[in-house]
Amino acid sequence: MRRIGTWIAAGGLLLALAACGGGAGGGGGTGTPQAQSLSVGFVAEPANLDFTSTEGAAIPQALLVNVYEGMVKLDQDGKIVPLLAEKWDVSADRKTYTFTLRKDVKFSSGAPFTADDVVFSLDRVKTDWKLKIKSQLDVVDKVEKTDDHTAVVTLKRPSNGFLYSMATRLGAMFSRTGVADLANKPVGTGPYVLGSWRRGDSIQLQPNPSYWGTKPKVPTVTLKYFKDATAMSNALLTGGIDVISAVQAPESLQQFADPNRFQTIEGTTNGEVVLSMNNGRPPFNDKKVRQAVRHAIDHKALLETAWAGRGQPIGSMVPPTDPWYEDRTGDYPYDPAKAKELLGGKTYDVKMRIPNLPYAVASAQVVKSQLAQVGINAEIEPLEFPARWLDQVFTKGDYDLSIINHVEPRDMGIFADKSYYFHYDNPEFGKLLAAADEGTEQEQTDDLKQAAKLLSEDAAADWLFLFPNLIVAKKGVTGLPKNAIAESFDFTALAKQ
Amino acid sequence: MKGRVNVALLVGAVLVALVGLAAVVSFFWTPHDPTLVDAARKLREPGGGYLLGADKFGRDTFSQLMVGARTTLYVGIVAVGIAAVLGVPLGMVAGMTPRGWLSELIMRVNDLVFAFPALLLAVMLGAVYGAGTLTAMIAIGVATVPAFARVTRAATLQVMVTDYILAARAAGRRRPAIAVRHVLPNISSMLIVQASVSFAIAILAEAALSFLGFGTRPPTPSWGRMLQESQELLFSTPRLALWPGLAIALAVLGFNLLGDGLRDYLDPRLRRIREQAEPPANGATR
Repeated sequence: MRRIGTWIAAGGLLLALAACGGGAGGGGGTGTPQAQSLSVGFVAEPANLDFTSTEGAAIPQALLVNVYEGMVKLDQDGKIVPLLAEKWDVSADRKTYTFTLRKDVKFSSGAPFTADDVVFSLDRVKTDWKLKIKSQLDVVDKVEKTDDHTAVVTLKRPSNGFLYSMATRLGAMFSRTGVADLANKPVGTGPYVLGSWRRGDSIQLQPNPSYWGTKPKVPTVTLKYFKDATAMSNALLTGGIDVISAVQAPESLQQFADPNRFQTIEGTTNGEVVLSMNNGRPPFNDKKVRQAVRHAIDHKALLETAWAGRGQPIGSMVPPTDPWYEDRTGDYPYDPAKAKELLGGKTYDVKMRIPNLPYAVASAQVVKSQLAQVGINAEIEPLEFPARWLDQVFTKGDYDLSIINHVEPRDMGIFADKSYYFHYDNPEFGKLLAAADEGTEQEQTDDLKQAAKLLSEDAAADWLFLFPNLIVAKKGVTGLPKNAIAESFDFTALAKQ
Repeated sequence: MKGRVNVALLVGAVLVALVGLAAVVSFFWTPHDPTLVDAARKLREPGGGYLLGADKFGRDTFSQLMVGARTTLYVGIVAVGIAAVLGVPLGMVAGMTPRGWLSELIMRVNDLVFAFPALLLAVMLGAVYGAGTLTAMIAIGVATVPAFARVTRAATLQVMVTDYILAARAAGRRRPAIAVRHVLPNISSMLIVQASVSFAIAILAEAALSFLGFGTRPPTPSWGRMLQESQELLFSTPRLALWPGLAIALAVLGFNLLGDGLRDYLDPRLRRIREQAEPPANGATR
């Protein structure tokens, strides 16, 4: 028994050292940098490669723009620019879009890309896609081919969201002969093709020999998947990867502070970290209680402690890269006295059921501490993400408070759906959104500004901060996307000296 | 034995007493509120009322360690309690009816539970019923039941062949009475040792579960989660990982030494062997 005891004590020391052991062996770097290949670390591996039937951000992140291309794409400023279409014309009633296609485009299978593929791909969204977001294209009435290089899309009503959707995975162009095994064999027009996929480890992209545009500077890109943020940091320190695509532990950035070895890139994302309040049941069906929560939270302090000051406070559901962004952080300044006044001296016990993700667990502890100051006692319950959190909070709506990063682009519309887990119910908000989609560009901007203001004033939720895009790369790697506002991680501009 | 200090027992007792003291005092007083987030104190250096500094949330590390000791002891006591309450009666039944089908059943089920990894059980329970201190305690407790049952059974078997048990049976005492009046007092020393060792395992398991996010819920301080939260600051502020790591190591070491020491102290057979090997100074022999 004595021996067993000693082993257990040793186990205790090991656990104590487990954290310390993480990055200790940082010495063994790899040899000379090769401009021929590059590997990028990611946190979530795709379940398969078919983003037409499988939800999740990891698939379009790897494949869109790199393997699949659409007629248009989003640039780094959030503007829609031509890709497979040379240009597009919009009719006067804004219901007909005429796309003029490039003539030199071929799929990686060798088949030429024509208007038939546009008709095929867009029709297929309606018939074969299984994603929730496919409803964005419900507005499409019909897609027709006028000649081999002209495709005409007719809408049921004017829609500002249509062209934007075309820049997302919904607008990806598929070959009529290339959709037999989407889960394993993607066929697109992009600069890369799938080289190999070692499940649980990495995906390798190889150059597409028949690519129509400028060949990417780095021929071979490896996407390496890590389950643990520390493991990914260590891989960069030891030279196993060249880029960390998204830093999950911002305090750890200090270990990459050496400018002779590393560079840190900070940009914005579409991710609003939302403190969701259940508008559908007490106590947060009471607007005053929700407003009290917004006044009770010191967003600057929260960002500083929970996420190392990276990111930026936002006051509503619009990221700064959207044209209708307005700074709404002044709507509810940090004011605990005002919060107490709104609560009228009452105290509340609420359940804060959060996903067990780093930003949520960190933010929740700050929120709890600050809400306690005004008399709201929130009990934190971390739930396994995604399965359990989706089931309990998102689907069943059994929560009072939760914290989640809503990453989808231009997703303010989720508040218009009464059955969505916020259970926010204000018909005026829905009207503003509908008007925005049908109106002119100026009307759209005005209406959406109005809608964001309404959300903020109603305190439909609290917006903790805008999730930062944090990339760490070896010195000499260029062409990294500063802002993560599209669905893809664009490798086409990458280079390495 | 007399005059010789049992070093293991002494060191173990001191370490355990320290943890216990920190836990008890934390009920009445901590230097600062261990869960109060304050951006102004973020990563504050040790000193000036903050003995061990503050973490990235501006929470006082020393206060957190104190309340963490409470969490640790709480989990240990309840988990070992569950294990003892279930394991000891089962072991005694198996030990007192060594050839019965009941004994076989108990010990085979015991083997089954023994083969199941405790941490896996805890992660499973956490996934189904929600992670928390309670599920962690139950999982650790249930996983420790076989250890208790086995030790109890072995000890009971030894006691059952002694003369006083034979006498009690001859006198017509019923089995439950024999178990309570004669068996339990005579195997208690072994159980105390087992409890101490199990306590060490429970502390480690709780720390591991909290590290993985399946144990004590935030923001209740827990040594395991303190370690996990300090992971990203390992290069810039290593002290944040050092203190909880040291606390876990010392607490586990303390309970193990205490268990070892108690075994030496309480086991009459071992004491006798030692006395034979080292004759007392006055030269008296048996």
